[in-house]
Amino acid sequence: MGQVTDEEVAEPGRTLGGAEPGSTIIGRTPWQIFWMRFRKDRVALAAGAFLILLAAAAVAAPLIARGLVHHDPNALFRDTLNEYGLPVVGPSREFWFGVDTSGRDVFVRTIYGARTSLVVALLSTGFAVGLGILLGSLAGYLGGWVDTVISRAIDLTLSLPVLLFSIGIAATCSITAEGCLGGLVQPGISLVTAIIALFTWPYIGRIVRGQVLTIRNKEFIEAARAMGAGTGRILLRDVLPNLAAPVIVYGTLIIPSNILFEAALSFLGVGIPPTTPSWGRMISDAARGQLYTVAWWMLFFPGMALVFTTLAFNLVGDGLRDALDPRTQVTG
Amino acid sequence: MKKQLMVVAFVASLALVATACGGGGGGTTGPTGGTGATGGIPTGGILREETTDFGFTNAFDPTGEYLGAAWAYYGNFLLRGLVSYPWLPGEKGGNQPVPDLATDLGQVSADGLTITFTLKDGVMWQPPLNRPVTSQDVAFAFQRINTKSLIAQYGNYYCGTIVGMDCEGKSQEDPIEGIETPDEKTIIFHLERPTGDILYRLAQPAAAPVPPEVAGCFDKAGEYGRYVMSNGPYMLLGSDELDISSCDTLEPIKGFDPDKFMYVVRNPNYDQATDDNRQNYIDGWSLVINTNLDDIYNRVLNGDIDIAHGAPPAAILQQYLTNPDLQDNLKTNSGDRTWYITMNLIVPPFDDVHVRKAANYIVDKAAMLQATGGPVTGDIATTIEPPTVLPDLADYDPYATPNHAGDVEAAKAEMAQSKYDKNGDGVCDDPVCDNVLMINRNYDPWTEYTPILTENFKQIGINLKVRELDVSTAYTTIQTMSNLIPIAANAGWGKDYASPYGFDFFLFNTAGLSCEGAVNYSNIGLDEALAKECGPKVYEAWKAATDNGKNPLPNVDQDMEECVAKPFGPEYNACWAALDRKLMEEIVPWVPYRWGSQNTVLADSVVAWEYDQSAGWTAYSRTAVNNGLTMDEVAQI
Repeated sequence: MGQVTDEEVAEPGRTLGGAEPGSTIIGRTPWQIFWMRFRKDRVALAAGAFLILLAAAAVAAPLIARGLVHHDPNALFRDTLNEYGLPVVGPSREFWFGVDTSGRDVFVRTIYGARTSLVVALLSTGFAVGLGILLGSLAGYLGGWVDTVISRAIDLTLSLPVLLFSIGIAATCSITAEGCLGGLVQPGISLVTAIIALFTWPYIGRIVRGQVLTIRNKEFIEAARAMGAGTGRILLRDVLPNLAAPVIVYGTLIIPSNILFEAALSFLGVGIPPTTPSWGRMISDAARGQLYTVAWWMLFFPGMALVFTTLAFNLVGDGLRDALDPRTQVTG
Repeated sequence: MKKQLMVVAFVASLALVATACGGGGGGTTGPTGGTGATGGIPTGGILREETTDFGFTNAFDPTGEYLGAAWAYYGNFLLRGLVSYPWLPGEKGGNQPVPDLATDLGQVSADGLTITFTLKDGVMWQPPLNRPVTSQDVAFAFQRINTKSLIAQYGNYYCGTIVGMDCEGKSQEDPIEGIETPDEKTIIFHLERPTGDILYRLAQPAAAPVPPEVAGCFDKAGEYGRYVMSNGPYMLLGSDELDISSCDTLEPIKGFDPDKFMYVVRNPNYDQATDDNRQNYIDGWSLVINTNLDDIYNRVLNGDIDIAHGAPPAAILQQYLTNPDLQDNLKTNSGDRTWYITMNLIVPPFDDVHVRKAANYIVDKAAMLQATGGPVTGDIATTIEPPTVLPDLADYDPYATPNHAGDVEAAKAEMAQSKYDKNGDGVCDDPVCDNVLMINRNYDPWTEYTPILTENFKQIGINLKVRELDVSTAYTTIQTMSNLIPIAANAGWGKDYASPYGFDFFLFNTAGLSCEGAVNYSNIGLDEALAKECGPKVYEAWKAATDNGKNPLPNVDQDMEECVAKPFGPEYNACWAALDRKLMEEIVPWVPYRWGSQNTVLADSVVAWEYDQSAGWTAYSRTAVNNGLTMDEVAQI
């Protein structure tokens, strides 16, 4: 990452974050600078801590469910329902977040739902980022017809009616045992992940393309080219490292919208298999037939989990952007 | 309903005053004339109803329309057939055909092959037809049923039964060989064989008379639905303005918009003296589409509308069941329908009868009933036909489990005998039991069944992979044979009429098999020829399930043939009861889990209400409201 340091430090007249007035100037790597700035952002740190806790709960969900609460996420405690099938056990010592209309433990399903949300959001964001970097940097660096094709593909994808399209794919692939395209596409977590990635990569792709367009004319690239480096090497060794900051920032900000995307698909009943715990599905279960009027906890807890997780990712994303982009002023 | 008593008392006192002033002029106004009282029940007002969807299967053309609610609209308002029903609940004879257009229930010849009806005098078509209903109008209805392009959806009740009918006819102008109309008042049917339940078949809306001068203009399925002419107490709003001078001048009736509303008003040509069964208290009825189900029930609660059909969502249902002021406003009646899980005889693991029996033991029917909303939504089903249709089997429960909550031990004992449990521990250990696709509906209460069934089947080693689809996609999916759906929980079946034939026939007969649109979802009686026709996947599955044809699939066509020919009555029922036992114990295509009830929610404005067992719906012709509204105030056209 030498070039980044050289590049930024070489520019005069800029105060780099982290340098305290009056202190001796010491050489720092960009990551040290980033960390110095980021750790001052209390809000982002708290949000980060929340996410780490959430991730830990998600990973340890089976342990918590069986070891601590002794409830399986799909176990049916039907004696917690009245004769009309409505849950009568709200938050209590036995069921921390109450039970749903099937007599399932809402707490256990909420932490299992975190698994689904995080797995889908992280995987789909990962794919979107990978695809976005690859195609965005190719478009930006190579230009010409490659740029035209990729840019139009980005425009096209962004103009598709995302929700309708996703529902269509999920529904089409749901009617036979084999899924669709000869069994290639199966409804389930992988399909949802793929759909979300398909619709979010253009956001990364666009930003990467723009970045690469500015980077590719910089002197160090010309130098590398003059020294005989091939396109692949330049993209990998010289361009890619310079994309780290924007990609990390935008990637983090896409995660929460992907969590909401998954929740929306689950709310509409497409994608995630019915018995797999998912916040979107839990919310839709609570919303139908005004159930929340008799069992508010069915809506409240998964709803809060969704809100706080989305908020936390957004706050961390903001913090990362502030810390990674030297042009923003960090206050406080 | 406290309010009802008060209102009746008030109207009765008004009537007394009227009698006193009028000097003994009768005291009650006839039901066709404005606001008055008949036996203490007020007449007048508009019955306002909303629904999320009309749900018509043939765009309201009576020749093909297969929706139960539509049958209620026809029967109560628009169509008088030779025979029809008294518009009463089952315990008051609501499932028994009575004379309507005909003077009696028909004269049957000694050999049972000829049945003759005489039409009443004084039954007229609505304006602008303004003429008596004739036997030729009745014959014309059968010519329409026989016309292939009109797609009579239950034509099987007539084709093959009435001489000369095959449902393959080219034109509705072609007369039927087995139907004679010697004069305008007489009609004679010649049958291929004695048919015990012929009166039920003639009571169906498709068999009611149709005026050729209007219906004859429409030879495609469903088209006549926008022009339905009435010979009953009501007519579609604006239908009297039709220009019937030629086919070209006909415009769709303005009181029926298939996307928005249906309004009916009184038919001025109707003579109450010709009708023993309809009371016709209301001045009109409005049915309006409202896509928000919760809103519909809120509007009934607020009195903005008068009636809604079907059980309200669980949270609202609980209010009706627990609030003493509301309890009388929820009506629960037998729906004569069975909700069931269907299993496919040619798809593993359900190609093994022991697995199908194990399924009958493992399903927690009590939990499913509770998840549906409890006893108000029906009774636990223990066999195929509801006891209201076939009383012989009222106490029959071949797979009895404690409290209907499932019996793991009994299920495992069956599973252990199957070829998919090699070590005999009662848990399927074959890979075919993994990811077994189950089709379900994607809304309440079906989504509530998903966790229950998934957990139930897991106990015998069957891991269900559930796909929840909207209701019509779910049906299309299981109706397409090549999808080879192993198991489905989305299906239900209601009677066409209260005879076992009208319930069972298509579900298990090979007539109900086809590559697409099949209703014999289990593939009972599927033979090599049809399996081949439905594609290589079906053929391979069929070969695997029948050991290359050496063990053909069970077939009940012959059993049904024998039952149909039995004289109507105890012997007839006993024959069908035996068939049901065979299906439940030897073939086992279903896990029946609930005999559904029909719930109706009323506002306080409904002061008289009756249930019509024949259509499983409100008997509109015996329902009264006190809202004092007129159609001008209600109709939004």
